[in-house]
Amino acid sequence: MNYPVWQLEFLGGGFLIAVIAIIHVYIAQFAVGGGLFLVLTEHLGHRKNDPGILDYVRKHTKFFLLLTMVAGALTGVGIWFTISLLNPSATSVLIHTFVFAWGTEWTFFVAEIVSLFIYYYTFDRLSKRDHLIIGWIYFGAAWMSLFVINGIIDFMLTPGAWVENNNFWSGFFNQTFWPALFFRTFFSIIIAGLFGFLTASFLKDNELRTTMLRYSAKWLLVPFVLFLASSWWYKAALPPHIEEIIFQKMPQLRNAITIFLACSPLLILGGLIMAIRLPSGVSRTLAAVMLVIGLMYFGAFEFLREGGRRPYIIYDYMYSNAILKKDMGKVAKAGVLNQAKWIRNRTITPYNVQAAGWELFNVLCLSCHSIGGPLNDIRQQVRKNSPEELHLIFKTMGKERPYMPPFPGNEYEKQLLIYYLNKTMRR
Amino acid sequence: MDPVSLIPIPDTIPVHWFWLHLLLTVTTFLHFVAMNIMLGTGFIAFAAPFWRGNDAMPLNAHIAKTLPYSIAFTINLGVAPLLFLQVLYGQFLYTSSILMGVYWLSIVGMLIISYYAAYVYRLIDNRTGMGRLYIGATLLLLLGVSFLFSNNISIMQMPEVWASYFSNRKGWLINLGDPALVPRFLHFIASAVAIGGLAIALYFEIRKRRGATDGEEWIKVGCNWFTIATIINFGFGFWFLGALPEAAYNPATLGGKIFFVLVVGSVATIIPSVAAAQTGRIIPATAWALVTVLLMTLARDILRLAYLKPFFSLSELPYSPQYSPFIIFLLAFVGGIYLVGWMLKTVWNAKGVA
Repeated sequence: MNYPVWQLEFLGGGFLIAVIAIIHVYIAQFAVGGGLFLVLTEHLGHRKNDPGILDYVRKHTKFFLLLTMVAGALTGVGIWFTISLLNPSATSVLIHTFVFAWGTEWTFFVAEIVSLFIYYYTFDRLSKRDHLIIGWIYFGAAWMSLFVINGIIDFMLTPGAWVENNNFWSGFFNQTFWPALFFRTFFSIIIAGLFGFLTASFLKDNELRTTMLRYSAKWLLVPFVLFLASSWWYKAALPPHIEEIIFQKMPQLRNAITIFLACSPLLILGGLIMAIRLPSGVSRTLAAVMLVIGLMYFGAFEFLREGGRRPYIIYDYMYSNAILKKDMGKVAKAGVLNQAKWIRNRTITPYNVQAAGWELFNVLCLSCHSIGGPLNDIRQQVRKNSPEELHLIFKTMGKERPYMPPFPGNEYEKQLLIYYLNKTMRR
Repeated sequence: MDPVSLIPIPDTIPVHWFWLHLLLTVTTFLHFVAMNIMLGTGFIAFAAPFWRGNDAMPLNAHIAKTLPYSIAFTINLGVAPLLFLQVLYGQFLYTSSILMGVYWLSIVGMLIISYYAAYVYRLIDNRTGMGRLYIGATLLLLLGVSFLFSNNISIMQMPEVWASYFSNRKGWLINLGDPALVPRFLHFIASAVAIGGLAIALYFEIRKRRGATDGEEWIKVGCNWFTIATIINFGFGFWFLGALPEAAYNPATLGGKIFFVLVVGSVATIIPSVAAAQTGRIIPATAWALVTVLLMTLARDILRLAYLKPFFSLSELPYSPQYSPFIIFLLAFVGGIYLVGWMLKTVWNAKGVA
């Protein structure tokens, strides 16, 4: 309503943000758990006085640095760029409410970069003690980044009392903050094990390869129990209506639930197989498959978390189409075409019905629906429903269809939008 | 269409705008320094072999080693000013980003490729011949990113061009109608080459002070790049000034007066910097150059306020004070500086000449 709508048709419906976010979060969580993996594996190498393990840590650090520092950091910037293009109003709320949380996270990000560069380039230059301290500083800074970002991400799902009092702390330490923090921490350790498989499977020394694969398997399997416990805690902390949306009311989330449930035993099974002495080719292939399963696993979770917010972008505060819940009455009275800023056809005439319908579609639907794209394709939705059923959908939005916002405009605009959908998207 | 009607309503800020602007200016300055080093040294690494052939390779080996650091810090130090810019000017910045959405998002891909190309350039043994493709790709993409940032700022400051959205809503706007866009971009690039040259001189000066004997030639080379790029930049600077709207430097306004003082101050500080560089006094040259960059950063702030004056002033931002998160941020900031300082000191004391 406040900002122009980026006309992203095929890649709309959340596809762009889903791709960037899932890749980023996977790498970013590796950046946290992987930091712990580095420093504890270095401790292990020193304790066992094993140059093979220490050499492995060095090689793993190189891989870690190239992946997290470049792809991880830049896809993080990518998420920021993407959300500000797709939903600038929500981004603006997050930025203005949490500017100093973002700022604090940035200071940890600086510490991460400096410590990781130093860690990687000073294996031979620093004393054992100082090098390990640098490694711990890296992990501490990375985990604190997670701590801060976790508060902001979960605010979008459960803003709690912030909606009433606009207090920073109410929003930050919201009701899913602590379970989500534990959930993400344990998951980041699991991811460290998954990436450990990958680099360990390339070791040429058979004995060392087996040792490090078994060691990585422990990183996957031991926290898994705690991870499952924190998943249960996370689920239990969700307000009942959000839980209902995720697990019962949203048919689009069923696949994600199935993937999440199916990947748990697959990861455990894969971890157990990796602990067996395997030929290097097999372990490499399996390590790659496990990484993909991990990505699907975490992707499914993120999909569920995002889906749980529907029909809001910030729960109970701002709808996916960027209209504030408190403004719905005002918009209904004045009309969307009158209230939105970036509209050309404010008055509907016989000559601009199509153009005005298109603008309504852009403002109200494009944030969740693609046009012919892989996610939430509006053409498919329209084609599988008769014109009468389409009317029924509009009538039940926000009620029997709780994952869609109620239609915010006036009756005339509703009929115009239905006409536009029937005329344009049914073809 | 009246551009004022298109300007989105801003959200509430949690502390007085002065603090946010102070943070914006400080972090922009830090970002500019890192960006100048990154872009400037990358430019010199690409261009130097055209003059010096393979003789430039020892210099390029050092630049190849440091370029991934400077890219990392440029990006990292760019996050903070982008954050504070969004808090103060989000209603303008989000809009301009959407109007050039395709290009804006492509920046992420361009940065990833350029960053990896810089790493490849670091890791390869032979940086001549085809090896130059890597530094060429890095440089080209970074120049592209710079231009897109200039384009975004140009659109952001000119709500009068926003109505072009209604003829193309897919995010393909390049604001070539802004006469200041090209000189602004060239002014930034020439500054980067100048500061990049000075950074090379400083790098080898520090190595010399720590006992290295291989840097005398490169100190001179760096100082020459600094001097020549600065002289060329006077031309771009005057072109840029000439392309600005009159309101930006109108001496009848307070903003115009401050802008004038800052520009004159920048010229007055860059001259002793060049003089010091040409007489081999690298530390004073660097100190003067940093003052110039700071003054130019402040001039940049004043210029933005002047552009947006018909539409907006910072005092109009809705303000609802909540200072406790700000205090936490300051504590983290100070703690972060201490931690980074400790780490750098530990490395400095531990190693010889790298």
